[in-house]
Amino acid sequence: MTTTTQDMAKLSNEERDILHDVGFDDPSARAATSVLADREMRMALSNDPGVEILPLSEALRTYDFVQDLMFGLVSPDENEHIAMVAEHMHDPLGHFVWVKPGAKVRLPVQCFTLLETPQGRQFTHDVTLIDEGAEVEMISGAAVPGSVHKGRHISIGESYMRKGASCSSVSIEHWGAAMDVYSYGYAHLEEGARSRSTAIMMAPLTHHLSRSHTILDADTNAVSQAIVFAPEGTERIIETETRLAGEGARSEDVARMVSVGGRIVNSAMLVGDAAGTNGFLGCDGLKLSDTGEIMAVPSLRARAEGAMLSHEASVGMIDSEKLDYLMATGLDEDTARNLIVTGFLRLDHGAIPAGVRTRVVEMIEQAKSGGM
Amino acid sequence: MLEIRNLTVTIDDVEVLADIDLTLPEGELHVLLGPNGSGKSSLLATILGLPPYRIVAGEILFDGAPIQTLPLEARARLGIGLAYQRPPSLEGVTVSSFAAAIGAWDRLEREAAALDLTAFLDRDMNVGFSGGEIKRWEVLKLVLQDPRLLLFDEPESGVDLEHVIAVGEAIAHAVRSPDRKGRACSGLVITHTGLILNHVKADRAHIMKDGRILHSGDPQALFAHIQTDGYSVPA
Repeated sequence: MTTTTQDMAKLSNEERDILHDVGFDDPSARAATSVLADREMRMALSNDPGVEILPLSEALRTYDFVQDLMFGLVSPDENEHIAMVAEHMHDPLGHFVWVKPGAKVRLPVQCFTLLETPQGRQFTHDVTLIDEGAEVEMISGAAVPGSVHKGRHISIGESYMRKGASCSSVSIEHWGAAMDVYSYGYAHLEEGARSRSTAIMMAPLTHHLSRSHTILDADTNAVSQAIVFAPEGTERIIETETRLAGEGARSEDVARMVSVGGRIVNSAMLVGDAAGTNGFLGCDGLKLSDTGEIMAVPSLRARAEGAMLSHEASVGMIDSEKLDYLMATGLDEDTARNLIVTGFLRLDHGAIPAGVRTRVVEMIEQAKSGGM
Repeated sequence: MLEIRNLTVTIDDVEVLADIDLTLPEGELHVLLGPNGSGKSSLLATILGLPPYRIVAGEILFDGAPIQTLPLEARARLGIGLAYQRPPSLEGVTVSSFAAAIGAWDRLEREAAALDLTAFLDRDMNVGFSGGEIKRWEVLKLVLQDPRLLLFDEPESGVDLEHVIAVGEAIAHAVRSPDRKGRACSGLVITHTGLILNHVKADRAHIMKDGRILHSGDPQALFAHIQTDGYSVPA
């Protein structure tokens, strides 16, 4: 299937603009695209024979094996939110992405969620299967129109990376300022799989719980970074658990957090279950105001001889020596601070789309000036 | 260009500079010679307005106007720049993003090539730089900033001998070249070893000790005196 004008007409110009802020691009420039709006899968199309993308409900009817993938990494009664999604969705809402065995997908696959109804309640379940030896880049995002500030979103994501698969991903969210969001992500990397992910959690919201659980089999490599921002009135709770389950598994999990009056709690657990594993946790926080809170709790658990685990955590204000060093070149204080903050967040990372970088810098500036 | 009159400076009420008089005419390069802890770095930091130095007496004139009440960034914008001895590491702030922030993006590649720093453009500022790389970067930073008064704090420290020549020549070139508006520049270089003296081709030297300028004169003659008699007033 290739992108057609009809496909594009499934999204209004306004919707495309909203999604553009979180990484959306013209579907013709992507290998595959899915867009979920409120309770409807608005778009699910692929331009690449190596990628199949379907509404999850349709995938369940089309492929027998999908029912084994759904709730394969998490129990339907794991917690009250997951149970609610499981029990209330006879026709599940979400996408199924399947990157076929051996496919080397040239263009990114993009998946987006829109919540367009004020006080909407959105419960989604996505399943991603990157099959043996496949390689893909994924961009995902979630957004609301400017008119929506209240609502609730609960999502479950299950990702399977088969032997030797490789995936690089970026996810960006921009929810409403008074929303509650609960994200549950589960991933299993089979032998030799490689994953590199960046999650950008920047826009203000009332409460966000992001919980993820990753299992790494033998000789896998997972590098993840989270860029987390909390302006006044925002609370973000991030809980991650990475299990180095197979010999030779390696992981690097880094969170960079900035609070301008908001609260961030980052609890990261790294478990070395097998010999010859190597894992690193990094939690760095920067406070830009006297209010708010950053709490970083990295934990290491070695359960096998030869599991090499380490962590670094730091939380502080901007170092005045660094600020003076930049201002000694003639930069004003605001510009010097922005340079330090954007540098701290590693916003020049190649995986982050340029438009998103600009938006993030604007959000930080707005938050500091009290405009958020 | 720079005139310092009767300058006395304290940190937490402890005097670190006393009755400093120093004149640096336009187009000249001077060196400050003195032992560790003599107040050389304090003087440069005070000229630029870095904390925590507090001027309790005297004045600093730049192009005839007093600058001692101006904030740090205002003095920098007037045309004063400092190459740090030990600059802080700025994780995540690349050389390129810094150059863009100070409006020097279009000159970065050319100027970096002249200092053999082309490979540094995507590196974080001062993160993992060797001693010699830090010094060359600090010279490049000043060239990008394009000040008229260039201050160098111990530019040869931590640099291996073969690279002292390159750093010295880069300093001389930066100071002796006009700024981008075609105006002559001046330089003040701190050294306590004198290693760089032959390469910067200074016009005048000042001996500093215990927060005071003891003597001023010909750089080579003063350095020869220091080698035989230490940091003292020549007879």
